[in-house]
Amino acid sequence: MPSFLLGDVSYDFLVPLILYVGIYRPVREGVVVALVTGFVMDNLSAGPFGVYGAAYIWMFVASKWMTTFLQMRRNRFLLSFAVALGVLLENLIFLGAFAVSGAGFGIPGDAVRVVGGQTLWGMGTGVFLILLINYAHEKWDGWFRARLSKES
Amino acid sequence: MFSKSTVIIIGLIVLAAVSVTVISVSGKRGHSSCGFGAAIFFVAPFQDGATRSVRFVRDIWNHYFSLVSAAKTTDDLRKQLSHSVEKVNRCNEIELSNFRLRNLLNFSDNTNERVLAAQVIAKDASPWFMSVIVDKGMAEGVARGMPVVIPKGIAGLVTDISQHYSKVMLIIDRNSGVDALVQRTRARGIVKGKSDGCFFQYVLRKHDIIEGDTIVSSGLDGIFPKGIRVGRVSDVSRSNSDIFQEVIVTPYVDFEKLEEVLVILDLPGHPRTYDTFVGEQ
Repeated sequence: MPSFLLGDVSYDFLVPLILYVGIYRPVREGVVVALVTGFVMDNLSAGPFGVYGAAYIWMFVASKWMTTFLQMRRNRFLLSFAVALGVLLENLIFLGAFAVSGAGFGIPGDAVRVVGGQTLWGMGTGVFLILLINYAHEKWDGWFRARLSKES
Repeated sequence: MFSKSTVIIIGLIVLAAVSVTVISVSGKRGHSSCGFGAAIFFVAPFQDGATRSVRFVRDIWNHYFSLVSAAKTTDDLRKQLSHSVEKVNRCNEIELSNFRLRNLLNFSDNTNERVLAAQVIAKDASPWFMSVIVDKGMAEGVARGMPVVIPKGIAGLVTDISQHYSKVMLIIDRNSGVDALVQRTRARGIVKGKSDGCFFQYVLRKHDIIEGDTIVSSGLDGIFPKGIRVGRVSDVSRSNSDIFQEVIVTPYVDFEKLEEVLVILDLPGHPRTYDTFVGEQ
């Protein structure tokens, strides 16, 4: 992230994007988005390569699975809950990566504070990001279709 | 042959196995990137622009509150006051920046190695991995493995580069390791990051280390020049069952406020192996 200096309770803003493609978009699109954004974030991060990709793929899989039994597209409370779960899942995967990568030292002492803060922040603000992405995408789709029909 | 649910379950198990294997292999080998700096090349300019925009908006927001408090006086005084506040704030920023850059210049003048100043434009998105992106890359002569320092001490190591930007893994990252020694007693160990500080590992129990001791780089890893400060010993504990001491080190560098850094272009103990490049002094 750019130097926003929001502290360590600022969650990953790509989590709402991954959840959006998992809830609103087809599987083909979602997998590509998850893999590409995961690849980019892995290259920008000092974490083991593949940790962001794995986190985003699992988040996408989990969101797709949740849509099979929950009507999430219009339910803002469920969307908030999904973002919170996404942030929690991502942090669990990151902390699990410490165990398998051999970095050692176990779970950091402030893990509960940081993960809890990020989860709460995600629950409160993530739904707005998802709705914003959905609104922007619908506007873009409408403009693009209008353009195509005008040219044809 | 197999039902849909069986295929899905097998797929999930394979995905989990692949995830764990990839993360385990890349973590143990210390690979934090793959793609020859392509992601940094495309993303870092946007990060740079976003950081500058946020700083600009933050300055305007601070000025807005000053204008609100000054709105109680006449319109003329309000305009004059707002101009003065903006000027003072700019002067303060310039003064602070000047102080930091003078420190960098004094440091670079006093070192034998060639250094390149760089600005931090982004930090790692996750609080668990410690890295920053700086605005110098291959075009300016930066290469992988180059140490990154500030006058207070060692900051980290360049791990990935693109044409004009580089990724620096900080010494507080869990995958980081600096060969170091205690300045007073010359006891040697490895400084390993732990997200909010460092451990000084593999220090034998027989060595004398006390709180307040300064840890400096040993130069024996061929990466960091010898004698650069790393941190201060903040806690020492010896258990009867372990041959090593547990030493906690507080880095001298305040990573929360890292804005400018120096990339050391000459690796210690190694002659320059790369050809001339743009930006060479």
